[in-house]
Amino acid sequence: MKRLLPFLLGAALGLSAATSALAIERGGAMSFARYDDSAVIDPVWADRNPDLWMITSLYETLLRNGADGSIEPGLAESYEVSGDGKSISLKLRDGLKFSDGSAITGDDVVFSLDRARNPDGPWAGLLGSVEKVTAEGGKITLSLKQPDPTIPSILATFNTGIVSKVAFEKAAGANDQEKAKAYFDNNPVTSGPFTMKSRVAGSSMSFARNPNYWRQGKDGKSLPYLDEVDFVVIPDDATRILKLQAGEVDVAEFIPFARVGELRGDANLKMELFPSTRIIYAPINTRDTRKDGSKNPLADIKVRQALNYATDKNMLIKLVTFDTGKPMTSLMSAATQLHYGPEPLYPYNPEKAKQLLAEAGIDGGLDITFTTLAGSADDATLFTALQQMWAPLGVNLKVEQVDNPTRGAKNRSGEFDIHTYGWANDVNDPAQVTGWLGYYKQRQAVGTGWNNAEFNTLFEASNSEVDQAKRKDEYKRMQEIYAENAPLLFLYETPFAVAVSKSIEDYVQTPLGANDFSAAWRAK
Amino acid sequence: MPSISYLLARLLQIIPTFLLVMVFIFLLVRMLPGDPAIAMAEAKATDAQVEQIRHNLGLDRPLPVQFVIFVKNTVTGDLGRSIMLKAPVTEVILDRLPTTIFLALYSVVLAVFLAGPLAFLAAVRVNSATDVVIRSVFQIGLSMPVFYIGLVLLTVLAAQLRWFPVGGYGTGFLDNLHHLILPALSVALYTSAIILRNLRASLIEVLDADYVQFARSKGLSTRIIMTRHVLRNALVSTVTLLGLSIGNLMSGTLVTETVFAIPGVGRLMLEAIFARDYPLIQGLTLTFAVLVSVVFLLTDIVQSLLDPRLRKA
Repeated sequence: MKRLLPFLLGAALGLSAATSALAIERGGAMSFARYDDSAVIDPVWADRNPDLWMITSLYETLLRNGADGSIEPGLAESYEVSGDGKSISLKLRDGLKFSDGSAITGDDVVFSLDRARNPDGPWAGLLGSVEKVTAEGGKITLSLKQPDPTIPSILATFNTGIVSKVAFEKAAGANDQEKAKAYFDNNPVTSGPFTMKSRVAGSSMSFARNPNYWRQGKDGKSLPYLDEVDFVVIPDDATRILKLQAGEVDVAEFIPFARVGELRGDANLKMELFPSTRIIYAPINTRDTRKDGSKNPLADIKVRQALNYATDKNMLIKLVTFDTGKPMTSLMSAATQLHYGPEPLYPYNPEKAKQLLAEAGIDGGLDITFTTLAGSADDATLFTALQQMWAPLGVNLKVEQVDNPTRGAKNRSGEFDIHTYGWANDVNDPAQVTGWLGYYKQRQAVGTGWNNAEFNTLFEASNSEVDQAKRKDEYKRMQEIYAENAPLLFLYETPFAVAVSKSIEDYVQTPLGANDFSAAWRAK
Repeated sequence: MPSISYLLARLLQIIPTFLLVMVFIFLLVRMLPGDPAIAMAEAKATDAQVEQIRHNLGLDRPLPVQFVIFVKNTVTGDLGRSIMLKAPVTEVILDRLPTTIFLALYSVVLAVFLAGPLAFLAAVRVNSATDVVIRSVFQIGLSMPVFYIGLVLLTVLAAQLRWFPVGGYGTGFLDNLHHLILPALSVALYTSAIILRNLRASLIEVLDADYVQFARSKGLSTRIIMTRHVLRNALVSTVTLLGLSIGNLMSGTLVTETVFAIPGVGRLMLEAIFARDYPLIQGLTLTFAVLVSVVFLLTDIVQSLLDPRLRKA
């Protein structure tokens, strides 16, 4: 043993030197505690976050979102938009393979994109401008009905993940949706970094490394580094954290903000706050009259601006997000492409608020109803804080507590003054959030009834603007108009709070929420 | 033994119960505030998409037509497709049901084993120190919400001492027993408190009854007095209570299964409610109704075994 010791020591030192040079270690499994289970991880039919955020782990897209949000090559090594913007051609990489070893071909791409355009699917609208998809060998062409600058982003979005035509068509089911479920339930053939290894509905799921995945790691060998990712479903926040603290899992997602501070102090954990596209805001009814026929004081832009100035966002961020949030600087989160917002909107200024209200001719006080989600502690905190902040202005803020469907119905019918709401982008393009919050023809600008001709025209133009620089200018102008008109009470952005064991490196949750395990590794 | 006609009569009584449950479920879902289609469509959907969902669910048809379709489908075992899980409701429920039944039985067995002997001890030594201690401890169990007992057990026994896993279900019978001990115990602590209080009171009452005194004066052994005279009579009300508490326990699984991450129908119900998955909510409510009815039926049968006078009722 004595003679062996120096040898072992030397070997160990040599090994650690080698690993520190490479920095990354391969192999092993990572266990991940989720708040909810996946039902169907399918690019076309998934519509819940626990499904959507796993798709790109199994199905690779033609293009990818880079770390800085730019569009990077994926299964396609390059793409080109034609001069008139009405056609996009892509070239598939050579030698691409699915997890079962079969080749990824142009046929699979056409099949996958045609599926994604199925008008019954929840995401079909994202490819609404596509007229036809064709393939000649590895050359893919998308012919468009009109120019659509969002298409490259959509080709990097989960709904255009590539599935195997041959394998999918073999799945049982009377229609595409049933086939998708059967395909997913029977260890599907995948194109992404992982394959499905096993699954117990409602309880657990395992991903195994896809040996045929195309991307390479920092060590020059193919990704992913991990052999396996094992998921357990633990809906209760406290239990999920206990499971992590007991060392039974390596990662616990959706840490309540109230517990971020405590977990930061845990020597075995890293408390990650991944930037997200999630925003918390409150739509303001801007119609001239309320639903009951009375005059609506909130129709006056000055009143809306006053309420925004009278709102101490930093205080709300402290109270509700325990200082993990950031004030909004635009209608969209700072992590969204083409975001423009040099500074937080409407910094707290009660004097200016008073002055604006006086200019609006409001002197006899103001009765406003704030609609909140019943049972939501965050909403209750928001309401009580706003009530106090606005009282000095003579605003009598009343609360109306409703459940989620009622809030949705009120938003659609315009039967509210101000209500709480949240949003997160699904797509790495600003058109989705901008259309939702500001474009009147889509959903009356998130139900506010705000109908601004200049904004609407800019939005329509930007949706077929092929010149990227011009599109950027249009977005800048739209965000300025929106900020000034304040159809919202601008509140804050919140991050994704994930607690990770110190032995796990490079796990990422993207701003869109997707779980990215492709470059994660375990230090042994 | 209860007669065949008694059993038949009891079974027939279940039919109107089910019909009422079905009417209730049907109306309840449609009376909830907010449009189910809007609830399911999520905020991002356009008005046209909401209309499509309404049509797909048949919500644009007259109410009586919807009810007839609902009854027809239910009777033929077709509970529709879960919106959230995109699979047939019957399949989803049958997949998750055994877990919940396992947990419920496990809890009941634990509760009976905890409460039974202690109730005896307390009843035999009424108002002694032992009695007071047993009653106080169980009073605490009764006053604490199940989820709180659960979290305390998890924190101490699982996360700190690491004797048991933090949540989950496990694979295989022994592994299931190991994984479910904390959730079963936290439910059992509550149930056993109820049983203990009741059983102790009935035992005291029966021990004092004339026929027990008479049996004693006849010189019968304590064992025979206890089993043949005391226990049999004291158990009648306890069995009723146990039956009722199994009904409660079913609703308690909503919380327990969530705290302990157990993939049963209780947690499924909670998820379905949050997702406004109406077909699944309907299916699960019906399942709970069936389970509770079956438990009540079994309770009645056991009672009639214990007390022949009830068979005539």
